[in-house]
Amino acid sequence: MADQANFERDAMEFAPQLYAAALRMTRNPADAEDVVQETYLKAYRAYDSFEEGTNLKAWLYRILTNTYINKYRKAQRRPSEVELGELQDMYLFRRLGEQSGATPSAEDRALDMFVDGDIIDAIDSLPENFKLPVIYADVEGFSYKEIAEILDVPIGTVMSRLHRGRKVLQRKLWNLAVEHGLVEPA
Amino acid sequence: MKRACDNAVEYVYQYIDSELTGVRKTRISMHLKRCGHCHDAFQFEKDLKAKIAASGKTQPPQELFDQIRALIETERKNRAQDG
Repeated sequence: MADQANFERDAMEFAPQLYAAALRMTRNPADAEDVVQETYLKAYRAYDSFEEGTNLKAWLYRILTNTYINKYRKAQRRPSEVELGELQDMYLFRRLGEQSGATPSAEDRALDMFVDGDIIDAIDSLPENFKLPVIYADVEGFSYKEIAEILDVPIGTVMSRLHRGRKVLQRKLWNLAVEHGLVEPA
Repeated sequence: MKRACDNAVEYVYQYIDSELTGVRKTRISMHLKRCGHCHDAFQFEKDLKAKIAASGKTQPPQELFDQIRALIETERKNRAQDG
């Protein structure tokens, strides 16, 4: 059992990461601050139930996730599978490959056409149930097992949501590239 | 070769997420050394992942830390009062 007196010492170092994640979820600095503050208060209250030596970062993210979901996700609508459509694996790589007739190799720097704002918009456009696994895997670098614990779903669900989420994200990036006139629409 | 490519692509995300171990990982690593197309495709996915990770790096405002500490302090005092 963790000692509440050590909470600040143990947990504060994760605040910048939690804030960055909250900002990606809410897209609003004031809301992100609210979510992180509430997360820390809840975590402090529950800290004597945290098992010392286990994954504190994942535990904090789990509280952050639940706080965010309870506060902001209620009104969210989930798009149907039909709306999302069937997408090929490695969607963006294939579409870019069709463009040049060759494969976009790393040296081509095909990804350089996307600025940070495009990536942030693309993540933001994801349905919530895909967005969180993508943020946790790609941005936070959590393992599938950790994401499963944070989201309280089976690992298989994490993998399928992550897979789908990445495809939808790549389609969005492709569409942005078309909108910006960077590629020729097929 | 085609089947080896399909097999590799099926595991692309588990591979770049470092979730593969053992024989499966070794076989894909060997395939990537032999197949330029799959090598490029995997590299592309890896680069995209890195680009996503690097986007939107934001530092919290300094007040956030003070606010959190103040909230915890208030909570601590309330608890002490309640016994």
